[in-house]
Amino acid sequence: MAVDVLTPGAEQRIERLHRVWRPRPGVLGWLTTVDHKRIGLLYFFTTLAFFGAGGIEALLMRTQLAGPDLNVVGPETYDQLMTMHGVTMIFFFIIPMTTGAFGNYLVPLMIGARDMAFPRLNALSYWIFLGSGIFIYVGLFMHRAPNCGWFCYTPLNRRAFDPGPNVDFYALGLIFNSIASTATALNFIVTIFKLRAPGMSLNRMPLFIFAMLAVSLSLIFALPSLTADLVYLELQRKGGFHFFDVAHGGDAFLWQHLFWLFGHPEVYIIVLPAFGIATSIIPTFSKRRMIAFPLVALAELLVAFIGFGVWAHHMFATGLPTITLVAFAAASMMVVIPSTIQVFAWTFTVVLGRPEFRAPLLFIGGFIVFFVLGGLSGIMFAAIPFDQATTDTYFVVAHFHFIIFGAAVFPILGGMYYWFPKVTGRLYHERAAQISFWLTFFGTALTFFPMHIVGLLGMTRRVYTYKPHLGWDAYNLSETIGSFILAAGLLLIFANLVWSRFRGAPSGPDPFRGGTLEWATSSPPPEYNFAVIPKVTSPYPNWDPADREDDARRLQAGTLVLEEGHETPAVTVRDGYLDEVLRMPAESPWPVVVGLGVALIFTMLLLSHFVLASVAAGLTLFALAGWHLQEPELE
Amino acid sequence: MSADAARIDRSRAAKPNGWWGMAVFVATEATLFGTLVGTYFYLEFTNPQWPPPGIPDPKVLAPLLLTAALVATSVPVQVAYSAARRDRVRLAQLALVVALVVQAVYLALQLHLFLDDLDTFSPNASAYASIYFTLVGAHHFHVVVGMLLEAWLVVRLVTGLTRYRLVGLQATAFYWHFVNVLAVVVLLTQISPAL
Repeated sequence: MAVDVLTPGAEQRIERLHRVWRPRPGVLGWLTTVDHKRIGLLYFFTTLAFFGAGGIEALLMRTQLAGPDLNVVGPETYDQLMTMHGVTMIFFFIIPMTTGAFGNYLVPLMIGARDMAFPRLNALSYWIFLGSGIFIYVGLFMHRAPNCGWFCYTPLNRRAFDPGPNVDFYALGLIFNSIASTATALNFIVTIFKLRAPGMSLNRMPLFIFAMLAVSLSLIFALPSLTADLVYLELQRKGGFHFFDVAHGGDAFLWQHLFWLFGHPEVYIIVLPAFGIATSIIPTFSKRRMIAFPLVALAELLVAFIGFGVWAHHMFATGLPTITLVAFAAASMMVVIPSTIQVFAWTFTVVLGRPEFRAPLLFIGGFIVFFVLGGLSGIMFAAIPFDQATTDTYFVVAHFHFIIFGAAVFPILGGMYYWFPKVTGRLYHERAAQISFWLTFFGTALTFFPMHIVGLLGMTRRVYTYKPHLGWDAYNLSETIGSFILAAGLLLIFANLVWSRFRGAPSGPDPFRGGTLEWATSSPPPEYNFAVIPKVTSPYPNWDPADREDDARRLQAGTLVLEEGHETPAVTVRDGYLDEVLRMPAESPWPVVVGLGVALIFTMLLLSHFVLASVAAGLTLFALAGWHLQEPELE
Repeated sequence: MSADAARIDRSRAAKPNGWWGMAVFVATEATLFGTLVGTYFYLEFTNPQWPPPGIPDPKVLAPLLLTAALVATSVPVQVAYSAARRDRVRLAQLALVVALVVQAVYLALQLHLFLDDLDTFSPNASAYASIYFTLVGAHHFHVVVGMLLEAWLVVRLVTGLTRYRLVGLQATAFYWHFVNVLAVVVLLTQISPAL
C-alpha cells in the first residue's frame, strides 16, 4: 500500500491480517499450502526444471544433427528425445509456466483478490501436474519414453508397432496432466468471474486477465477431445478395443481429427498468455495505456474462438476432400485478422508512448519480430499447395519454433524480468539482462531461421541423421551453433535472476510504475495480498492515485479490510458489485494426499493392475471425503 | 448457523463460486460427451453396415423406460435444493433419499442390460462395439458419481446446513440435471440404429 503514515488502528488491522494468514513454517507449510503465490512459485521452479530437461533434449538432438552421419545418439534414443522434447515443452513447460506459475501468481493480484476461487483445488492441480511430470519422466529414465512424436499418429501408436510401455507413458501421462490443466482453467474462470475487486466490471479487467480467461476457456473446451482420443488409444492398446483400426471398422483419421481438434486450440493456449504478458509490459514501459484496448481484448478472445475451427490445416496432406481443405484454409486465414489487430496495437502503443527499452520491453520486441515472421510462414501454410509441398519438412519445424519459442517463450522470459521485483523485492541486473536478450534473440534466429531453408531443400523432420553432399551441412551446423548460443542466453537469464535474488538492489513496491493492481501492494506481497481490498474505477487502477489514497483511508476506517478470518469479497459477474464476503479455506493436507492417490491410480493403470487401480481410486475417494469434511466456515 | 446459510444463499445476487465451478466442469464434460457421440456417428458414417453383421440392433424399450425414470429424479433433486434454501433440512434429505432409491434401481437394471450386452457381443469385436460400450459405460460412470455426491450430502446434512453444504447441494443439483440431459443424448445415440 502506498501508505506513508499508519494510524494505530490501521496498524492493528494489518497485525491481525498477518496473524490470520500466517503460513505454517517449513516443508509442511509448502506441502499443505493453498496460497496462490506459493503454488505459483512451486509451479515456477518445477516448470523451470522441465524447461531445463526439454532444453537438454533439444541440445542433444542438435548435437546429433550438427553434421551428417553422426552417431551421438542412436535412432531409438533420438525418437525418445524428440518426442519428450515436444511433450515436455508443451505440456510440462509452457502451459504450466504461463497458467500455473504466471497465472497463479498474478491473476488474484491483478484483480485485487486474496486467493483463487478454489484454493485447495489449485494446490491439487500443482500436485497432479508434478505427479504427471514425474510419471512421464520415469519412462525416459527407464529408456522407455514416448517415441512416436508428440502427435503419435496411428498406426504407429498401435501395440503391434510399438509394443513397449512407451506409448502408454505418453497416453496415460497426458491424461494425468490434463486433469491438472482442466482444474487450473476452471479455477481461473471462476476466479476471474467472481473474485474481482468490487468496481472491476468486466470491461475494466486488465488485458492479461482477458488473455488468461481466453486460455482457460480454450483449455476447458479443447482438452476433452485429447482426453477422449487418449482413452480410445489406451482402450485399444490395453483392452483390445478397435477405434483406429480399419480392419475392424475403425478409422485412422479419427485419431488425427480428435488430436488436432485439441492440438490447434492448443497452439493458441500456448501463445495467448504471451499476448497477455506483452499487454502488461508494453503499457508500463511505454508509459501509456494500450491503444485500442477493447479491440485487443476482443482479439484475444477471438483468437481463442477461431482456434477451434482450423484443426484440419494440420491434415492438408492426408487426402481429405478438397472442399474440406478449402473451408479450413479459409478459416486459417481468418486468424490473421485478430492477430494483426494485436500486432498493430502493441507496436503503436510503443510508438505513441514514451518507450523506455529496458530488458522486459526488449523481449517483447523480440516477441513481435518472431510472431510476425512465424505468422507469415503460417499464412503460407494456409495455402494448400504450399502446405502439401512442405509438409513434414524442416520448414514446418522452423515455422512453429518461431511461434512457440520466439512468440510464446520470449514474453515468458521478459515476464520473468518484469515481475521478478514483485516476487522477490529486488531488482534484476539491467545490463546483464540486456545482453541476455541479444544472446537469446540471435541464438533463436540462428537456430530456427536456417531450418526454413533446409526444409525447402527437402530435409524432413524427425530424421535422426542425414547423408553428406545434400547441401544441408552448413545450415545444420549453424543451427547447432545457434542452439548453444541460445542456451548460453538462457543460462545468463537464470544466473542473473539467481544473483539478483541475493544481491539485487531493493526494488520497493512499484519500481516500473506499472498500471495494474499487483504493483499496488508491497514486494513481495504479503500472504493476504492487500491490506484493504482495492478500489477500482479503470483498467489501470494503479495509475489512479485518488483511488489508492482512498484505499489508505479505508484501511484507517476498516472498510473492506476483512481482518476477521481468511476472507475475500465475491462480486456479481458482469458489473463487479460487491455480493458477499467469502470465507476461504486455510492450509490443508488433502490436496497432496489426493494427488498421491491419483498418481497411484495412473501407475497401476500403466502396469495393467486394474484391480489395484480400483483400490487406489477407492482410497482417493476417502481422501476426498476428508477434504470436504474440512469446511472453511467450521475452521 | 443453519438459518444463516439459507439466509445468505437467498440474499446473493450472483450464483455462488461452487455453482460456477460446476458449470465450467459441466461445460468440459459436455464437450467430452460431444466427442464420444461425435465418434459414434463418425464411425457409423465410415462403416458400410451399422451395427456390423453379427451384432443385433440395440434394445429400445428397456433403456427408454429406464431413462425416463432417471430423468424424473431431477424433480426430487431440485426439491432438495429448494427445501434446503428455506432451511428445511430434513425435507431436503428425504428428497435426496427418494432420488437415490430411484437412481439405484435405474443403475442396477442398466448394469444388468450392460452385462447382458457384453455376453452377446464383445467390445473387441468391432469399432461399433468399442464405441457403444465406451459411450454407455461413460454415462453409467457419471450416474455413479452423481449418486456418491448425493449420498455424501445426505450424510453431511445430518449435522445441519452450512454455506459450504448448501452450495454443494446446489452444484450437485445442477450436475444431476446435466447428467439427465446426457442420459437423453446417450440414449438417442445408443438406440439410433434401431429407429
